[in-house]
Amino acid sequence: MQDYIIEMNNIRKSFGSVQAIVDGQFNLKRGEIHSLIGENGAGKSTLMKILFGMLDPDEGQIKVRGEEYSCLQPKKAIALGIGMVHQEFMLVNDLTVLENMILGFEPRKGWQIDFNEAKRRALVYIEQYGLHAQLDKKISEISLAEAQRVEIIKTLMRGAEIIILDEPTAVLTPQETEGLFKILENLKQDNKSIVFISHKLNEVMEISDRITVMRRGAFVNTTNKADTDTKALARMMIGREVFLDIKRSEQEKGKMVLSVDDIWVPGDKETSKVKGVSFDVREGEIVGIAGIDGNGQSELVEAICGLRKIEKGEVRVDGKAINNQSPLAIRQQGVSHIPEDRNTRGLNRQETVEDNLVATVVRDAPFSKHGFMHRKAVRSYAEELIEKFDIRPPMPSHLTSSMSGGNAQKVVVARAISDVDRVLIASQPTRGVDIGAIESIRALIEQATRTGIGVLLISADLQEILSLADRILVMYEGEIVGSMAVSEANEEKLGLLMMGVKEGANAEC
Amino acid sequence: MDLSNILNISLIYATLRSATPLIYAAMCASITQQANILNVGTEGIMLTAAFFAVAVSYFTGAWYLGVLAAMIAGAFMALIMAVGHIKYKADITAIGIGVNVFALALTKFLMNVFFHKSGTFTHPDIDVIPRIKFNFPASWGEVPQLIENWPLTEWFVIVVLIALHVLFYKSIWGLRLRAIGQHPTAAESVGINVKSMKYQAMIISGMIGGLAGAHLSLGYGALFTENMTSNRGFMGVAAMYFGGADPLKTTVGCLVFGFADSIGARLQNLGMSPQLVLSMPYVVTVAVLAVTMASKLQAENKRKSALTKFR
Repeated sequence: MQDYIIEMNNIRKSFGSVQAIVDGQFNLKRGEIHSLIGENGAGKSTLMKILFGMLDPDEGQIKVRGEEYSCLQPKKAIALGIGMVHQEFMLVNDLTVLENMILGFEPRKGWQIDFNEAKRRALVYIEQYGLHAQLDKKISEISLAEAQRVEIIKTLMRGAEIIILDEPTAVLTPQETEGLFKILENLKQDNKSIVFISHKLNEVMEISDRITVMRRGAFVNTTNKADTDTKALARMMIGREVFLDIKRSEQEKGKMVLSVDDIWVPGDKETSKVKGVSFDVREGEIVGIAGIDGNGQSELVEAICGLRKIEKGEVRVDGKAINNQSPLAIRQQGVSHIPEDRNTRGLNRQETVEDNLVATVVRDAPFSKHGFMHRKAVRSYAEELIEKFDIRPPMPSHLTSSMSGGNAQKVVVARAISDVDRVLIASQPTRGVDIGAIESIRALIEQATRTGIGVLLISADLQEILSLADRILVMYEGEIVGSMAVSEANEEKLGLLMMGVKEGANAEC
Repeated sequence: MDLSNILNISLIYATLRSATPLIYAAMCASITQQANILNVGTEGIMLTAAFFAVAVSYFTGAWYLGVLAAMIAGAFMALIMAVGHIKYKADITAIGIGVNVFALALTKFLMNVFFHKSGTFTHPDIDVIPRIKFNFPASWGEVPQLIENWPLTEWFVIVVLIALHVLFYKSIWGLRLRAIGQHPTAAESVGINVKSMKYQAMIISGMIGGLAGAHLSLGYGALFTENMTSNRGFMGVAAMYFGGADPLKTTVGCLVFGFADSIGARLQNLGMSPQLVLSMPYVVTVAVLAVTMASKLQAENKRKSALTKFR
């Protein structure tokens, strides 16, 4: 097939015991914009890192302009005209835009840098493709969108014919995204080939010529844009799988326990800032928040738990405002938290199971008195929780760092559930744990509602949300874009909302 | 209190004189800081160099060989740190403190071995760094006298300072140095050898630290005293922080230290508490750093805020 500039076949790649890519297939035509889509962890970035030579494939075949390579190095890839713009920019903050562009292949004038020549070379691309960049500003002074253009110019200056963009719009505002798309069109007009990695379907439908879908490390399909629509793509991305269903007991919903009233929370990225979110959780109710990671869910949870400042709005527990109080004060008012990352916030990995289990209540009797711990009380409390939550190995003095992911997570869940009084905030409670643990953690959360507490469940896993929640809210770019009872929800509907496709809108191409 | 006794023209000279070794030390720390290595061993590099400057000058009778030996000794001490930190990934603070303690013991030991002395070693055979005389006529007044009779190394610090400024901000080497210091993966992704750059920075740093030591022992006088650097290396590191490893800004920090040092000596003569006077430059540094950090933080908060609209 001589029309393909890139062909990748039967690629396999694993990291330790994790199969990142099971069956990778990808091909690219000259002068096309080809989107590579899939959920988080579907293997899109890994496949492209293999093409760029940053990772070696375990198996498979890579052809560039018909010539076969078993593996590449970034230097080799660059020499073959492949350039990559990473999700995390490879730019030095305190250097100027121009200095970053020429780093490593500086035009010389004796031992000095020929900045005039450098500027001349950069301006060629800036003018030709409309890649506006302020050459004399430092990277720390320019916007993310501009930094991205700098990265694109960097690849072009090194002779790239094929440009891989790894989730380029994740850091951009909608307006900036429009700007990027114009640039990509210009590049395409000039016969450059572009790989656009994304999971935002409306964008993919706007910019692509062809689309390749990956799911769980495997190739699903490559299709022309004209032959598909957002719904079909969502179905291919998410797939149809049996899911772990929890039998929800019919629960009498009581009065309001948690109410969040128009809160605004700062975030590191534009899309992760929380912008005016409101909702309520009642006694015995599980409210699920669905959304792709990085759309403000983490910031929302941190704000409720007192770990992040709330700039505007109010959070109330039983009608009493708790916003911007200390995490301890909020905890003492009955809010319990399962953090999204057990290794950084959930556990002290260097400590034992019992010390982790007692961490949130250690100040209270009978666990301590006058600042001294009462070891016996701690031990018997730990033993009780270990048995009740089936934590393995059942040893209170075991270090949490040597436990499996599932059991370590059970420690976090056990602590949060036994300490909860009014509201449980469960953030990604089953992330990275095995099926058995998933089942029991979900059951534990469900049981907790029977004691009349309210649960806020945040999960990127749609099956989890669908099987546990009574009501589902969807977050996208820091706002709630959809709200429905679980009876009205399905994966496809939620999936489209999560990807920023407005309800009712069809494939509009 | 008669101010003219304190703020007179010779205060300028006193300031420059006490700032010079600090500037050398700060340049020694700046070049490694650009490569993201905190040169805690500056003090030890200087002290070792000061000893070898005196020793070699004494045995050969040539000041320039003394200075050369000082630079080699400094580079050697820096190389110890470089190998430990870059190759064996030792913590730079731990290894830097090690080098400082080692330098203190080594110079004391070698002084005993070579000169059978402890405390201070001085001898008429030590060839000192020559002093530059302009012989300005007295009728030109006080000002030209200020630069009369400076040791060569006092002038040379200006060359070092300007050379480093040009090196950091105008040369290819400097661009790569700053890149590997700030974002090694980005530098590596464009084919720069990060480790090699770090070694180069450390060795040049050791040579500049060597000059600092030679200036102390052969420039000011003709003697070596145990621990004669008396924390000037650490003050240089502090000045480097003050100036963010930018040679010119760092020099401003050194001048502040030098000024406080010399004015302190005068105020002390007038009966002001020396502790209070000596703390001044540090208080100023803390205040300046606090203001800079506060404004940076404010900008950061504004960027992250959900309430501000798109940039």
